[in-house]
Amino acid sequence: MANDVRPTSLKREGDGLKIEWSDGVTTFATWRHIRSKCPCAACLEERGKPPDPFRVLSPQEAAAGPPAPVAMRSIGHYAYQITWNDGHSTGIYPLEQLRALSGEVKKEQ
Amino acid sequence: MTPGMPQKLSLPGVKHVIAVASGKGGVGKSTVAANLALALNMSGKKVGLMDADIYGPSVPIMFGLGTVNPQTTPFPLQKYGIALMSMGFMVDPNQAIIWRGPKVAQAVQAFLGQIPWGELDVLVIDLPPGTGDAQLTLSQSAPLTGAVIVTTPQDVSLIDARKGVRMFQEVRVPVLGVVENMSYFVGDDGKRYDIFRAGGGQKLAAEAGVPLLGELPIDPRVAECGDTGEPIVRKYPDSPTAKAYLKLAATVIAETGKPAAAPLPEVQL
Repeated sequence: MANDVRPTSLKREGDGLKIEWSDGVTTFATWRHIRSKCPCAACLEERGKPPDPFRVLSPQEAAAGPPAPVAMRSIGHYAYQITWNDGHSTGIYPLEQLRALSGEVKKEQ
Repeated sequence: MTPGMPQKLSLPGVKHVIAVASGKGGVGKSTVAANLALALNMSGKKVGLMDADIYGPSVPIMFGLGTVNPQTTPFPLQKYGIALMSMGFMVDPNQAIIWRGPKVAQAVQAFLGQIPWGELDVLVIDLPPGTGDAQLTLSQSAPLTGAVIVTTPQDVSLIDARKGVRMFQEVRVPVLGVVENMSYFVGDDGKRYDIFRAGGGQKLAAEAGVPLLGELPIDPRVAECGDTGEPIVRKYPDSPTAKAYLKLAATVIAETGKPAAAPLPEVQL
């Protein structure tokens, strides 16, 4: 993705995020997929560990249900920060990552 | 507000925010920032200078100012027509500031968002060396127009300046150009001596695809002026160095005249 490609519109659609980009491409990714790729240090470390079969969800996580954003705001000219319904909010998603994530799931024609 | 969540700042009265940065320490960022601020002011612009070097503030000494009582002194301070803010106004110069990153980020945000800068054409930000907390905070929360990268000609400086350029490109802050400081020395014999080698700034600018904004000569009076609180642009306005700074200011004004990138769109959730 060229460094000058940027989103022109971002909308919640169904269970995910639809992004229209300045190069004419439209992409879509489910919130679950975006949440699973959170780039923050804590999530990166967590993903590096073997899965813990005995992990106990926090009450907030248990109450949250499927991942969904409660807020999403731009950071400078290069990223978006998502606050999730499970209370997590430290992930800052650079535009390049949002584009790559969306491409991985589904690209609308 | 969650800790670590960058606070978005708006500076309604400030038309342009320009960061003066480098990868390497000791290349003359603060000298360039102070003289650039004055040169912009001498070119008819209303200018502020914010010292984001929290650990090693240089603005007070360069403007002949010391510590003040923050309870009774309104910030920003004014000197030579420039609005100034620095951690050095609040902390004794003999006292070390021993802070972890989040405190630095907090201080930078407070300087930017809580100081009444008023109406300014340009706010120049003197950054600390490196690509750390202050740089990231500014990139994330300040409406930066662009960054000016300062380097000296030799490879040991270029290697870090390149990282500075790369950082700004990654966070999509336009790099207005490269300034090569301590470029050359003109001796009494009128000959040019490339004391720290030659062509480094040009090389970096070409690599990054940005303009070389200027080559500033070595002049012993620069250090004298910095230490005595009256930057060379003001004290010796007819010197070749001052003229180089005025040219740099004109180039920066021209670069800021180009259309700025629109903010990223809001998300419709």
